[in-house]
Amino acid sequence: MTVAEESVRPHHTLWGDAWIRLRRNKLAITGGVIIILIALMTIIYPFFSRYDFASQDLDAILQGPSAEHWMGTDELGRDVFTRLVYGAQTSLSVGIFTQIIVLAIGLPIGAFAGATGGMTDNIIMRFVDVVYAFPDLLLIILLRAILGGSIYMIFFAIGLVSWVNIARLVRGQILSLKQRDFVTAARVFGGSSGYITTRHLLPNSLGPVIVAVTFNIPRAIFAEAALAYIGIGVKPPTPSWGAMIRDGNNVIFAAPHLVLFPAIAIGILMLSFTFLGDGLRDALDPRLRR
Amino acid sequence: MNDQKPLLDIRNLSTQFHTQDGIVKAVDGVSYNVKRGETIALVGESGCGKTVSALSILRLIPDPPGKIASGEIIFDGQDLLKLPIEAMTDIRGDKISMIFQEPLTSLDPVLTIGRQITEALERHRDMNGKEAEEEAIRLLKIVGIPQPDRRIKDYPHQFSGGMRQRAMIALAISCEPQLILADEPTTVVDVTIQAQLLELIRNITKDLNTALILITHNLGIVARYAHRVYVMYAGHIIEHGSSTDIYHHACHPYTQGLLGSVPRLDEPRKMRLKPIEGQPPDLIAPPKGCAFAPRCDRAMEACYKGRPPMVEITPDHYTACILASPEKKKTK
Repeated sequence: MTVAEESVRPHHTLWGDAWIRLRRNKLAITGGVIIILIALMTIIYPFFSRYDFASQDLDAILQGPSAEHWMGTDELGRDVFTRLVYGAQTSLSVGIFTQIIVLAIGLPIGAFAGATGGMTDNIIMRFVDVVYAFPDLLLIILLRAILGGSIYMIFFAIGLVSWVNIARLVRGQILSLKQRDFVTAARVFGGSSGYITTRHLLPNSLGPVIVAVTFNIPRAIFAEAALAYIGIGVKPPTPSWGAMIRDGNNVIFAAPHLVLFPAIAIGILMLSFTFLGDGLRDALDPRLRR
Repeated sequence: MNDQKPLLDIRNLSTQFHTQDGIVKAVDGVSYNVKRGETIALVGESGCGKTVSALSILRLIPDPPGKIASGEIIFDGQDLLKLPIEAMTDIRGDKISMIFQEPLTSLDPVLTIGRQITEALERHRDMNGKEAEEEAIRLLKIVGIPQPDRRIKDYPHQFSGGMRQRAMIALAISCEPQLILADEPTTVVDVTIQAQLLELIRNITKDLNTALILITHNLGIVARYAHRVYVMYAGHIIEHGSSTDIYHHACHPYTQGLLGSVPRLDEPRKMRLKPIEGQPPDLIAPPKGCAFAPRCDRAMEACYKGRPPMVEITPDHYTACILASPEKKKTK
């Protein structure tokens, strides 16, 4: 009896299993750690910083990196490192909040279309196709013109153009899951279709959704940077990496560090999310389960 | 037991699938019945309409493309085909439940075994979480899962195939249904587990006085576990009777063919297995006469002319074969 009890395997939840697989992936963990470090820095740094992101020092403009200014100063004498950290705040919040909007719109629409099927599905998905076919940047610029330039409106504009991917993904997942035996089984045991959608279909499609969201975050960050670069992003003086690169562009030969540091920052953050997304995909994909 | 009203009485059921190539008559004018506590078997090759006829009972034929074209399914006095869909979902899992062929895929991979059983209990028996959990543990114990109090927290992938099928059985009996449909419940597990599972199903149906429809292609199972047997071919029932009738006095050449292709321990060893030659007919354009005639080595001209009627051979033993009809016997 005791032998039998000892031989019982430890309990792993599905998410626990995925975590164990993710932990083995060095690149994904590195990505995750970098994201967490950047996020922590945006929270902690403002308490210790000697500079404000908007305060100008016209006696010290376009300086190179030094002990005083780790990453130098820009053409208005603002500390680049400080602006970079605050810019990270903008980027990360764009990444996260747009995805919340994307999930809030895309998940229910995709789930409803997939679960209902037939004509309803057809009509919803044709609408999604229309949104999908519209050039993203054009739509964002349009929305930005209507909604104005506050950072929340930027979230909203980016979110409104990117939910279609999630809607399509969720619908596809649900359509294929609907054919699975356990869904028939759930119906055999008296589950209504709404219940089956929320209880069985959605939880089963969550893995790919999480992966898609992780890949969507860097896209949203990049979209924000691109908007800022063409001058229709968040209003100055709120720092944004895209806006910093644009400003630095004017003096690129005199002070290349003004372009270099924000560009590297965008690169590192996007790579980190991509590595994390790759790792999550491997960890959550049941077909790759060993 | 024989003269009580049947629990489930299927009359003239036809289920069709509308495909690009035409209408597939998967089940065509099938009638059968089950009494309370009785086990019947539906036997036949793959694609002969066994599963479709069972899913029709629960009205779970995917529509489109499937459709129940005609017939009545009288369960406990009411016609299931006329019920509103809400009333039907109340019956599903509560009064009629089902055991699936593939225990590997018929449990939700992201929910614990316990959760899947308590779900059904909370849905149909108004139990709260605590009561349902205790009941789930009791059910898992009944179906022979060791340490059920620990195992209810496991996920399906942590169970072996046989254990999953046991959990599936626990789920199927959770609301003490009056009728269980078992669709090839043991096909994917190995032979030793097969016997254990069938024994388990039999004991449970006996204890709960549950009627069971056993869908199988294995005539060996049938003889031991079913009271009565319906043999299906190409969407029709072509012979039915008690399992003794079917096993020892099969009349239809197809039934005889099925028996001839199963190894038997009670026959001399030098007996050779006889496969049935050919393929089942295309159900989009079934042959005009007896559907089995093209594969039947005793087919005659009359077989191709019209569908042979069901004739009674001995009480409660019927077959749809010209060879068995009384006029034929006379002319012989």
